[in-house]
Amino acid sequence: MTSFIAEKLVKTFPGVRALDEATLRLESGTVHALLGENGAGKSTLIKIVTGVYQPDAGRIVLADGTEGHFSGPQDAQRAGIGVVHQERNLIPAFSVAENIALQAVPKRFGFVDKTAMRDIARRCLSQLDVQLDIEAQVSTLSVAQMQLVEIAKALAVDSSVLLLDEPTASLTSDEADHLFAVIRRLRAAGKAIVLVSHKLEEVFAIADTVTVLRDGRSVAQAHKLSDYTREQIVDLMVGRAQQVVELDKPAVDPTAKPALELTDVATELGHADISLAVRPGEIVGMYGLVGAGRSELARAVLGLDRITYGTVAVHGKPVRIGSVREALHRYRIGYVTENRKEEGVFTEQPITRNMAVTVWRRLARLGMIRQRDETDLVRTYVDRLGMRISGPTQLAGQLSGGNQQKLSLAKWLAADCDILVIDEPTVGIDVRTKAAFHELIVGLAGSGLAILLITSDLPEMITLADRILVMSEYRIVGEVPNNHRYDPTSQAVIRLIHAAEAVTT
Amino acid sequence: MTTLNLTKPRFSLRGTEFTLAGIAIVFYAILAATTHGSVLSGGTITAILQFLAVPMMVGLSQMAVLAVGQMNLSVGVLTGFCAMVCAWLMVQVGLPAWLAVICGMLVGAGVGLINGLLVVLTRINGFIVTLATMTIIDGLRYGVHGTATYQGYAPGLVALGRGSILGIPGVFLLAVLVAVAVAVFFRRAALGRQLLASGGNPFAARLSGVSNDRALVIAHLISGLLAGVAGVITVALSGSVNATIGDDLLLPSFAAPIIGGVALVGGVVSVVGTCLAALIIRLVDVAQAQYSINPQWVDLIIGAVVLGAVLITQLRVVRRRRSTSP
Repeated sequence: MTSFIAEKLVKTFPGVRALDEATLRLESGTVHALLGENGAGKSTLIKIVTGVYQPDAGRIVLADGTEGHFSGPQDAQRAGIGVVHQERNLIPAFSVAENIALQAVPKRFGFVDKTAMRDIARRCLSQLDVQLDIEAQVSTLSVAQMQLVEIAKALAVDSSVLLLDEPTASLTSDEADHLFAVIRRLRAAGKAIVLVSHKLEEVFAIADTVTVLRDGRSVAQAHKLSDYTREQIVDLMVGRAQQVVELDKPAVDPTAKPALELTDVATELGHADISLAVRPGEIVGMYGLVGAGRSELARAVLGLDRITYGTVAVHGKPVRIGSVREALHRYRIGYVTENRKEEGVFTEQPITRNMAVTVWRRLARLGMIRQRDETDLVRTYVDRLGMRISGPTQLAGQLSGGNQQKLSLAKWLAADCDILVIDEPTVGIDVRTKAAFHELIVGLAGSGLAILLITSDLPEMITLADRILVMSEYRIVGEVPNNHRYDPTSQAVIRLIHAAEAVTT
Repeated sequence: MTTLNLTKPRFSLRGTEFTLAGIAIVFYAILAATTHGSVLSGGTITAILQFLAVPMMVGLSQMAVLAVGQMNLSVGVLTGFCAMVCAWLMVQVGLPAWLAVICGMLVGAGVGLINGLLVVLTRINGFIVTLATMTIIDGLRYGVHGTATYQGYAPGLVALGRGSILGIPGVFLLAVLVAVAVAVFFRRAALGRQLLASGGNPFAARLSGVSNDRALVIAHLISGLLAGVAGVITVALSGSVNATIGDDLLLPSFAAPIIGGVALVGGVVSVVGTCLAALIIRLVDVAQAQYSINPQWVDLIIGAVVLGAVLITQLRVVRRRRSTSP
């Protein structure tokens, strides 16, 4: 019995068509896998189905044949759609029972009816076949226990559809096995369960049907999973029609002394055995799924998090970098952050100040900065990076996304960095600017900069990188030499990721 | 059935409350021993408890907004303003005492409601909003009767305020009753739980159908109402009021809940902890009087204890993060 259809959903964000007529069709009593690479549109689809976003076009049809119009998460819940988000959504100081019943707290004369509340909690937990102290405070539970509480909470409002977003991301394999037992139980009880997961192993172990998203479209729509092999699913996720632009770039001297070299590095965040080298003129890419630990590694190298083992060498000399300030001024390492709006650009400040912030010390004469020096600086980099601005005092926040990103890059160039860590350079940037940005990055490498590139955009990676390091679960699991041909390279990368997961799960 | 092993709570509020009770008892015992028992006399005990009522109320008033992760800087001056309005109604308008008392509390609730609405409607940080209303109310407080003092009002009310039952001051009993009501509200009432849910995890609360805006408004309203209660207790207890009332209440209003284990980020309250902390601060005052210490030292001590309490909480949070990260 079809219990839920989301048909031809379209959702556009400025510059991006996140969903392009994607369809999700669910049957009750089945486990449905929703798959796709980073940026394929899974999160957007989940947010529409759970009422967080409203679609621009398309419709949602519920089990009773009526159309669902969700103006908020509450509406989706009332329509019987429960969700367990990737991030925890519990009240830490409340008991298990109260968290489970939170959406429909039983009341008597304005007071919480604790007996009824406990009954609800017991009923939901027994549906899961889970024993938990319902009086325990949630903040004392383990991650796995909290997840079960969230599933129980979704059941408390009588959900017929249950979405689980990366439910095993932070579980041990024993805990994951237990979760799968719970999922099978719910399937037997007639629920339609959507499993969003990057781990193909577990998808093949538990799911019945599959929808694969790519570029906002559903390229496989509620097909039987048993009709596919893992290879075929990977092919579907990656696709074949990706464009890779050929850019001219001088070859890297493989014998040159690395500008940045990590040997057996471990960090307090959980990285282990990280070894890599970036030579002058080289672009080394780091690819991995969201949460693989790439940006975190960059943060540790820059001194934002502690390195607990191994050596970091800059131009062959072992160094200990304690702060970003030291990374910049002493070792000339710049970090173009992923999160422009929050970390990369002072949106309420003029372009001059944004660009000069890294070199104030050098520009200052007797502690004072002359405006002309700042303006000269801006003129230099506006020309060099081809930025479009109305004047040096324009506020950074008024620039387009692409120009903001160029501004973020310019301040590191102004600081004479010879090593750049570039994190997700083109997220939310339109195609034309993206191409210009790619040329820029290749040009920078051509002029001798060593670049460590982090991107989740595989075509971008294959366009830019000389070599691609694949990271999974805070380790480097392999290296793919990049021949700039999309099909073989992308498949080699994706296989490395899924092979790594097959070993760890 | 599958059983997942439960970890023991690493930190419980009850622990804080026991610690505070222990500190209060030891402190009192030291005071008794070093002052040759003068704090054991009936008169002194009565005075300690009488002047505990207002600090308890302003502490709970602050706690109500801390519950949703807000702060209310206007607690102190609002207490003074409500006291002045209440006295003005009796002396100059000629209202009967009971009606003036109710009006005094309603003024507090009204100002709290305005605070809450301003925070929700303007989306300006509650700290700034109440900083502004604090300044306004500070002025209004003097507007009621200038720097002059109201006295000689409602002898019946004052007698009630200074009266005691079985040696326990009436105002203290009232404060305990109000504290019990606040505790029941936050522990059992559906509305109180919604406030705590909103303070504990606003996004999760929203997904569960709790209106965070409503929670903010109600928390500020309760905060104002409790400041109003503190105001009328002052009127009944002191027999004379002027516009300086409330000047010295802002620090104690924060000190009691913070020392009492209330989370500054919201979501956790402790009525017992707040009241015990108010008692300890009261005992510091008593010690100051008994040993004739320069009053400036009292503020220094209380300020240092508040800072220490916040630091300890912060350390706990850091340690807990460390132990749960992979």
